[in-house]
Amino acid sequence: MNQRHFSRHLPLIAFSVLIGLGVMFFITYRVFGGSWETMTNAPNYVSLIIVNALIGFCVLLFVVELRWDALRVILTVIFALLLGGLVTAVFFLDAANKYVQGEFRVQVVSDAEPLIDMGYGDRMTELFNNPNVDEPVKEVSYQFVGREGDEIAVLAYVEDRNADLDMAVALLDANDEVLAEASGATEEQLRTFRRYLKTENDAVIESFVLPADGTYSVVARMENPDSDARGEATVVVVSEGGESPVDMAYNAPVGATFNAPNASDPITEAAYRFAGSRGDVISVLSYAARSNVAVDLEVALVGPDGAVLAESTGSTAEQVAAYRPNLNSERDAIIEGFTLPASGIYTVRTQPEPLTTSMRISETVSQTADAYETFLLGPLSRQNRWVIWMRDALTLIMLGLAIAIVFRAEQFSLGADGQLYFGALAAGALVLAFGDLPKILLVPVALLSAATAGFLWGLVPGVLKAYLGANELVSTLMLNTVAARFYEMVITEQLQPPDAGFTTSDWFASNGLLTPIIDVAGDQVTIAVYLLIILVLITWVLIQRTPLGYEIRMIGANIKFANFGGVNSKRTIMLAMAISGAVAGLAGAHLAMGIHRRLILNISLGLGFEGVVVALLARNNPLVVPFTGLLYAYLRTGAQVMERDANVSSEVVRIIQAVVILLITADALVAFFRQRRITRRGTIELDDGSGEAGGLTASAQEVAHG
Amino acid sequence: MALIEAVDIVKIYPNGVLANDHVSLSVEAGEIHALVGENGAGKSTLMKILYGLEHPTSGEIHLRGQPVTIASPQAAIDMGIGMVHQNFMLVDAFTVAENIVLGREPTIHQGITINRQTAIRDTEMLSQQYGLYVEPNARVDTVPVGMRQRVEILKALYRGAEILILDEPTAVLTPRETDDLFKAVRNLVSEGKTVIFITHKLREVMAISDRVTVMRDARRVGTVNTSETNEAELARMMVGREVFMQVEKPPVRRGKPVLEARNLTFINETGRTLLHDATFTAYESEILGIAGVEGNGQTELAEVLTGLRAATSGEAYVDGVSVLGHGPRKVREARVAHIPEDRLTNGVAVMATIGDNLIVDRYYRPPFTRMGLLDLAAIRDNGQALVQQFDILAPSADLPVGSLSGGNMQKVVVARELSADPRLLIAAQPTRGVDIGAIEYIHQQLVDQRTNGLAILLISADLQEVMKLSDRIMVMYNGEIVAIFPNTPDLTEQQLGLYMLGAERQPAEEMERYQ
Repeated sequence: MNQRHFSRHLPLIAFSVLIGLGVMFFITYRVFGGSWETMTNAPNYVSLIIVNALIGFCVLLFVVELRWDALRVILTVIFALLLGGLVTAVFFLDAANKYVQGEFRVQVVSDAEPLIDMGYGDRMTELFNNPNVDEPVKEVSYQFVGREGDEIAVLAYVEDRNADLDMAVALLDANDEVLAEASGATEEQLRTFRRYLKTENDAVIESFVLPADGTYSVVARMENPDSDARGEATVVVVSEGGESPVDMAYNAPVGATFNAPNASDPITEAAYRFAGSRGDVISVLSYAARSNVAVDLEVALVGPDGAVLAESTGSTAEQVAAYRPNLNSERDAIIEGFTLPASGIYTVRTQPEPLTTSMRISETVSQTADAYETFLLGPLSRQNRWVIWMRDALTLIMLGLAIAIVFRAEQFSLGADGQLYFGALAAGALVLAFGDLPKILLVPVALLSAATAGFLWGLVPGVLKAYLGANELVSTLMLNTVAARFYEMVITEQLQPPDAGFTTSDWFASNGLLTPIIDVAGDQVTIAVYLLIILVLITWVLIQRTPLGYEIRMIGANIKFANFGGVNSKRTIMLAMAISGAVAGLAGAHLAMGIHRRLILNISLGLGFEGVVVALLARNNPLVVPFTGLLYAYLRTGAQVMERDANVSSEVVRIIQAVVILLITADALVAFFRQRRITRRGTIELDDGSGEAGGLTASAQEVAHG
Repeated sequence: MALIEAVDIVKIYPNGVLANDHVSLSVEAGEIHALVGENGAGKSTLMKILYGLEHPTSGEIHLRGQPVTIASPQAAIDMGIGMVHQNFMLVDAFTVAENIVLGREPTIHQGITINRQTAIRDTEMLSQQYGLYVEPNARVDTVPVGMRQRVEILKALYRGAEILILDEPTAVLTPRETDDLFKAVRNLVSEGKTVIFITHKLREVMAISDRVTVMRDARRVGTVNTSETNEAELARMMVGREVFMQVEKPPVRRGKPVLEARNLTFINETGRTLLHDATFTAYESEILGIAGVEGNGQTELAEVLTGLRAATSGEAYVDGVSVLGHGPRKVREARVAHIPEDRLTNGVAVMATIGDNLIVDRYYRPPFTRMGLLDLAAIRDNGQALVQQFDILAPSADLPVGSLSGGNMQKVVVARELSADPRLLIAAQPTRGVDIGAIEYIHQQLVDQRTNGLAILLISADLQEVMKLSDRIMVMYNGEIVAIFPNTPDLTEQQLGLYMLGAERQPAEEMERYQ
């Protein structure tokens, strides 16, 4: 770039330097939570800042190299992110449902004497004749409510067969008139009520039909009050078919779960009855069973005649404070201090407050926004997440470079994945076999062998394409499978230690590892960062500054033209594929020696294909690949963080990836049509003479970069 | 009263390009109106406006005196305006008749089935009425180009076109087919149709049109009656300056033989013999023209000689060195240059820069590659120098070739090939699709280089070009060389035509004499 060029591009360069610095500071600030102390306390913080400076430099390169196209790339990504946001919103479409589902409790709080003690089926147990107390219990009385026509049996029995306690029982109406009495049980009754009755000493009033609605009492006593037999006796009123007219008593919570997600017949509302006396002062509470249940309740008190006496949809902060721990939030409902107007059976109705559309929308939007914020800022929220971002980025950048080389030659090779396996395998096998060599020798040799392995494996589809015309897309995909299975086989058959529980090699000796420059609790960023700088430069020189690069570019631009000019296109295609393979092989070595520190199954995690997105976003420009690799790795890491923190599947990032590929493919179409238009436009302007030719420059440069 | 009139049309494209600058055009009923101008002068834009493909920024269109708005091609067709595009818009897999009725098919069974009989009958009737011969039952991809064009015309007539716009109809035709087309066009006019004929070949303008409108730089230069003008005047109007239709061609003695082709034969993959036993010699300081109807082996001859295709048998020696069988680079290193017949396929890479396009044959040698690395400064300097030297209208050699006009693209090709310091230049269709100014320039370059000692093999479908430039003319028919003549003034197109159509064949001994 000569002097004139430089001064013309000065504003652009200054602008990109500013953006680069801004990005660097933002990342550093975020990773250390904005605290100077956190930063200086972190080990390797200088290295971390250096790496951030490199990230800033990648941004600078991106802007300088692509100029207006950079804007287009950013817009593409933003558009993809917006679509991704919509997809994320799908996960939260039912976010508001948490307000209508969950376990709840209903309780009637009152200091008043309870009108009744039990309902049908309630077992009331008392210890009779306990000699250790001053006044041993000889007789108990329980009240219950019944309806006219209910056929009931009243039982008093002793669970313990050895207790020798002889019971008698009587049923009285509201006026304490005895309706029925019993002091023993027949053999037949013992059979009929074998769930309850144990001996003939137990008492049973059988098949008694209640004459009217109202309160009744059961009196159970020892048949012989002077005996010194003692033990626990239980009283129960059983009604065949008849349901208990009450469901709860004062101060005893009952509850269920509204809209349980997996229930076949979910409960949407609930009603509980209780018996109250005139003048009882009660408070009715309906509240979420646990503090992490967000169900928003409303409650109504219905009188014996069916009229709604009081309603509530929430509670005040003071009420919440007063009724802790039952009430937990203002979503819980309370009817406080209600005086019952008459004796009778009251009903408490409760249900979740109905959802409004605006609630649904605002809840979805706010949840999505929260999740997306986690997505967009997640990689910077902790140092170890930043490290994960860097590690992914390094691998992706290497793969992006590999893909960019073949794509420059218009060879749609997707073999990076397989070449990566061979690279990892070659490096790993070498490190495992010669772990005692000095590091200065072992690491370069391992890297070199990885590159060689990738080169040779990349040569295979190149030869198939050049000499047999085999479609590189198909052949590379097939060869990927071959490589992955071969890798698996070598690990299982040769490298797996006998005592290993799953398919993996031994850990590499530290001599065979890339030296870490940043270490956050075992997660490391290695010197691969610096090796990568060299790799980017080499790739750039290869494509832009060597005759082979010229051949690759011309073959990509028009293979017939290249042939016509004397370029040996077969050789160029083979070399482009093989060199791309060498770079992908290095990515494999990086995965093995820098990240996993041993050979594991599925070491690539499908990154080879993500390299395609990285290269496409970078317009196959090696100087832009670092930026797009960082960008894409950032999105990947962010998606993982979102999956963990916001429970949104990281598949969202796949959707973003698909959208990016679609948009860029469409972008290529746009560029194609624009180029046709410019061809015509350029003609017209040039016919006018050179006076207007300046106007051509900008548009024609778009073609050059498009 | 004019049948169709464009009044003061201004067309500014959304990207700010002014394509029509207050252009007016008036076409009378029943006339053949030629519209000429160099590439990019705005002819096509004006016609697209008439056909409803583009909408004018300002200005009016009057049809039979009434102002009309032509919203779409469908509207244009409804108004009786038909257009035959340069690139045919036919469905290859359909028959001729099916193509003609496409979109307005006669149907039976309540519109479910096409009535093929009616389609064929209609086609035959139209065909007879206008003297446009077609085979209704032939599939379009099996019929010759000339017939496809007639299909296009019939298609427009079937839709009721009264005004036919023919966009460079002769660009793809052989001389014979061109004659047929002209006959048909005259027939159309006698049947009451009106024809607008777009071209940049002045000879055709003179041959067929009643009036001519000339456009340049988005403006109308003028409209003249054909009978009151001549080619030179039209050329001057088109280019804006005096054009020398005749090239300066000083006589020189031919020198040593450069290319000796011996018994070249090429049989393609399907077993067809496309080049049979071609033997000839090309000498220093001589243009050897190859005449022939396109598709008679000229393309294959050029491609075999330049190494793009491997000869099935035979040999070729450049300066006594055998060059075939090792690919294009070996040929190029023997200093053979090649202007390919289809520049967009072989001649340039449109997405690559002008500078990169200019070094495709020499990038690996100094000064472009030094110590294994490309010297970008040398590439740029070379580009700028050639852009200057060959008058390529481009602000910078860093621009993609795709941003140039066809003529300037061709100049890039010519600049590269002539700057390679060749001994032999194989120039295939060097001026195809190039405007007059560039044709003049390229012709002069060829002749100058020949005068300076270059051996040139000129392959052209334009018989006049061959006759104008060549020192010796070789005629090819059916893959064989059937005649070789010295280009003497008494040699006529008709004479050559007999050989080109295979009606005559020169005896071997006579051919030997002119080797």
